[in-house]
Amino acid sequence: MEVLLQVLIGGILLGGLYALVAFGLSLIYGVVRILNFAHGTLLAVSGVLASLVFASWQLHPLLIAALLAPLMFACAYAYYHVLLRPLTRRSHFEATVGTVLVTVGTLMILSDLTAMAAGATQRNIPVRLEALEFGDIVVSTTQLLILLGIALLTAMMHVILKRTWFGRAVRAVTQEPVGAEICGVQSTRLKALTFAFGSATVAIAAVLYVLSFPVDPYMGFGLTVKAFTIIVVGGVGNLPGALLAGIFLGVAEGLTGLYWKPEWAPALSVILMLLILVAYPKGVGAKT
Amino acid sequence: MKTLSHLIMGAAALATYLPAHAAQGSCTEPIVFGTTISETGPFSTLADRWRKMTEVFAEEVNKSGGIAVKACNKKLPLKFVIYDDQSVPATAVALFEKMATVDKVDFFVGPDWSSLGGPVPPVADKHKIPMVMANVATPSVYDRGLKYIWGTPFPVVPNWSTRYFEMLTTVSPKPRTIFFITHDNPVMKGITATWSKKAEEQGLKVLGNETFSAELKDFTALIAKVRAAKADIIYISSFDNASVPLVQQMRQLKVRAMDVHHTMLTGSLSRQVGKDIEGMTGELSWYPGIKGAYSDLVETVIKRSDVSMFDYIWTLGRLTSYLAMIQGIEKAGAVDREKVKEALFKSTIKSPAGDVSFDERGFPNTGAFTVQMNGGKVNVVWPPEVATGKLVWPSPSWQ
Repeated sequence: MEVLLQVLIGGILLGGLYALVAFGLSLIYGVVRILNFAHGTLLAVSGVLASLVFASWQLHPLLIAALLAPLMFACAYAYYHVLLRPLTRRSHFEATVGTVLVTVGTLMILSDLTAMAAGATQRNIPVRLEALEFGDIVVSTTQLLILLGIALLTAMMHVILKRTWFGRAVRAVTQEPVGAEICGVQSTRLKALTFAFGSATVAIAAVLYVLSFPVDPYMGFGLTVKAFTIIVVGGVGNLPGALLAGIFLGVAEGLTGLYWKPEWAPALSVILMLLILVAYPKGVGAKT
Repeated sequence: MKTLSHLIMGAAALATYLPAHAAQGSCTEPIVFGTTISETGPFSTLADRWRKMTEVFAEEVNKSGGIAVKACNKKLPLKFVIYDDQSVPATAVALFEKMATVDKVDFFVGPDWSSLGGPVPPVADKHKIPMVMANVATPSVYDRGLKYIWGTPFPVVPNWSTRYFEMLTTVSPKPRTIFFITHDNPVMKGITATWSKKAEEQGLKVLGNETFSAELKDFTALIAKVRAAKADIIYISSFDNASVPLVQQMRQLKVRAMDVHHTMLTGSLSRQVGKDIEGMTGELSWYPGIKGAYSDLVETVIKRSDVSMFDYIWTLGRLTSYLAMIQGIEKAGAVDREKVKEALFKSTIKSPAGDVSFDERGFPNTGAFTVQMNGGKVNVVWPPEVATGKLVWPSPSWQ
């Protein structure tokens, strides 16, 4: 029983981190209609950057997140305008193929450049706080704080999407793009802002991730696949759905390791995604 | 005039293709070793300082006159032809072909890594050039009936943890149970297969064997099983980088044991996991301070070329391939490939880590020393006659 509880706690934490990665991707796909294959790589690169900053200046992880998020926002905003926006003027087919090529190319270039600059080895932010022990169950205080961070970030994003003009516009475009434009939403600007906002959330997720797990420049694509799975299960633009789907995936991976074999856990997201797509070709969750 | 200029051009072209040495058996030219080093590509982090190290090695050998050749009644200088194989098997094959046909080197040393050790040796056999490979540890590479191949990987799977298990019979309190955690990789699985059997033969009860892939980041489930098993020894059979999150999460989740043993306790692992490595034991092929044949030479070479044995853990395998070839030539008494081949066949050579014996396939019997991380330092703790520090047992940091 203790072992199961331990695995469930670990799964919830991991799933929360997956959900954070998926939030940004979900928003970007919902509004911009781009499958950003480089999304997970942004986490990997941000994570490497965060660990380097921590190693060099010993800054508090919260401060590192506060520095990285606007930096990623600005880079992503420029990236959208320079590389992705021109594709929207092309035919649907060309735009679709073009975005895949651009984002996959970005993934490869970013991974290689990061490996060249910082090395291909794994990095993390080794902050150790005294763990809490309840009998045979050990709960890492660092992980509890990360979980709190995930909850706060989810709540904050929920408020932004529900209470602000930007959030309402995002939801409007996600649900009915033409209607939103007729009502005065400047879709081009909104798309660029959403792309940048989604990327900035990844920078924050990256700092939380490297506090618990190591990152390397080449691990991004696996995370993107997990994020796709979460979107398929949770629904495009559906934050509570993504959170639940992320936790489901994290716990499922943990249980796979516990009751079957740990080496199968990383492949679980792909298997789940395929099964869900076969059973529900339009996905499980609904749009908000 | 036109004929003369053609002759000059022809001579110049011919000179370009002149071999790096004059002729086999010459007593006037240097002895030339041809090798490739993975200076770029995925293996470069393990070998990127070895060109400088190889050049320094030749300088140091030549300081004492070179390699003694009885037939010449003198010592001949050593020279290396070195290329970067880019960690790519096809590139390595092409470069060894080039060294055999264009550079016309006398002997081959290297390459490293089993992926290169598969396709390269047939080149040596084809040209009948003796080759002492360095870090090619897969036994099947040597099982192909090739006649000109030897290898000096440190350690080989059948001897990987010999000294560690020997040490376990002497410690108090005596461990009774062991749990294996294995990286999903053929070499590491081979180590676990060998040593889990050995552990049982030694009276240790094997409580479990969990395998993990290099992509796994969350080890909670695996660690929960390990904690529940409450094993005295946790034996991690893994490449260093793959096990970084495992070691960190074992610390976070307060895993307890008498000892946590890692088959690749390296500088890279130490840098990545920081203080979490404290108290762990592992294997190291050799460490400066352990006296043996050629140990002064090796210490000087690695010091001059700024190579740390803890960071570049395969260094001894590489240097021993050079030492093996030198001893083969000295034993043969001539710069003659066939005589050197005969001299190396089933021979025993000297190395800083002790004698290395080759079987009829050219496969060695190399082993490793047991080390422990204490106070941020790596100490050789077994066997006692070469120990640089005292074993702390059971490890306090895992209590």
